[in-house]
Amino acid sequence: MLEVNNLSTFYGNIQALWEVCLTVEEGEIVALIGANGAGKSTLLHTISGLIHPTSGSITFLGQRIDGLSSHTIVELGISHIPEGRRLFTDMSVRENMEMGAYPKRAWSQKDQTLEQIYQTFPILKERAGQLARTLSGGEQQMVAMGRGLMSRPKLCIIDEPSNGLAPRLVLEVFQIIESLREQGITIFLIEQNVRHTLEIADRAYVLENGRVTLDGTCKELLKSDHVRKAYLGL
Amino acid sequence: METVLDVVVAGLLLGGIFALISIGLSLQYGVARVLNVAHGEFIMIGAFVTWVLFEAGVNPLISLMIVGPGAFIIGFILYQAMFNYIRIKAPSLDAFEGNSILAAFGLLFVIQYIALIIWGSNIHGYTYLASPIHLGTVTVATNRLVTLGFTVVISVIFYIFLALTRLGKAIRAAAQDPATAGLMGVNIKRVLAICFGFGALMAGVAGVLLSMCYPINASMGLHYTIIAIVVVVLGGMGSIVGSFIGGFILGIVGSIVTYFDPGLSMVAYYLIFIILLLVRPKGIMGK
Repeated sequence: MLEVNNLSTFYGNIQALWEVCLTVEEGEIVALIGANGAGKSTLLHTISGLIHPTSGSITFLGQRIDGLSSHTIVELGISHIPEGRRLFTDMSVRENMEMGAYPKRAWSQKDQTLEQIYQTFPILKERAGQLARTLSGGEQQMVAMGRGLMSRPKLCIIDEPSNGLAPRLVLEVFQIIESLREQGITIFLIEQNVRHTLEIADRAYVLENGRVTLDGTCKELLKSDHVRKAYLGL
Repeated sequence: METVLDVVVAGLLLGGIFALISIGLSLQYGVARVLNVAHGEFIMIGAFVTWVLFEAGVNPLISLMIVGPGAFIIGFILYQAMFNYIRIKAPSLDAFEGNSILAAFGLLFVIQYIALIIWGSNIHGYTYLASPIHLGTVTVATNRLVTLGFTVVISVIFYIFLALTRLGKAIRAAAQDPATAGLMGVNIKRVLAICFGFGALMAGVAGVLLSMCYPINASMGLHYTIIAIVVVVLGGMGSIVGSFIGGFILGIVGSIVTYFDPGLSMVAYYLIFIILLLVRPKGIMGK
């Protein structure tokens, strides 16, 4: 579904990604793990068109998407749920959700989509009229995820969804991600919470200093000494 | 008592124009991030086009329908051709804001001097709908009332547009977080250009309305740019409602000061500006 091939990206004058290769197949949950500054966000920003790569290619459903602008990439069916939630804080929850359905194809069916998403996130229905900035951190993360689904994506890129959440909410976020897969949405998940991530994902890539240093099924990675030492603290 | 009412009504009439030009600047600065110091030049051009057309026998209200869309198209193209290029080349948003002010200054001089070459530095004017209307004890010229009506209607329509439509919501989202709006599928470059176009439209329309009530000259623009900057800061950066309210506040202040000494109105605006920056720099509706 998504193929990243020999991707190199510069962030200013610094090379942030070195010939990164990875694939995400339809129906999978694929995780990307790595420390702060390893280049995870740069990779995501490159996939969703916020930054353009210097070399290499990104293919989505057989079509080259590197070099396209972010609004075009959304229309093709990739939704990027950004790190730090990035809500439109002065708009209501409902308006935030509507912004998620901005692509024309999604806009025409936004009311139905909204009803479906309210079933996954009942809290959003209760809070629909409130300004996004009046919500708690956990609720804001739900809005961010709900908003990301409003474009009816085929692939959902979720960047650090558990960041800054209480442990109980972290579990809820991971349960929701699993339920999205059941709804037929492919997930590319970026997380610092490696233990939970490797429990729900099928495969994972380890990114270190801008390079993919390790990849495999989560079972394999859980057995890897390097992963256990560096990411699980065992 | 009658004098007080006269002054307040005059202030409201003036405030309508201030509100309109400030909403325009607020869109250009609050959303498109261009502190367009050439804003007043669009007002001046709107006024002169209306005057020229009036001399040729065209009703100013028809000119309104020509100048509005015309100014929008020019503003849209200007952003796409010039400011967007500066935006892409700038390493950061701060750098873009700085560079775009310089570019807008260039625009100010180019437009103003072209106008001076064409129309000279004399004061021009025409008479349209000047007959008085009596509202109770207050007497106002019809054209002032028409002006106030247009400014309020345009502001309200624009507010509803921002609140309810798909594009309006995209504009508000882009004002808060352009990159995330892009992730939602908003074509940022286009939306910012549209905002700049709307800003130019409001300046142009304000120019048409001004020319119905006041004498015009080729160097009138900067005066209104300064007023608009004061109102935008007064109302709160990027807040359309704030600019609307702020416009009327400044209009009434201007009207009161003018009653005592017409020469002091600009002094009063600057004084408000300075006090505001010291006491509440985020403005009335700012966060």
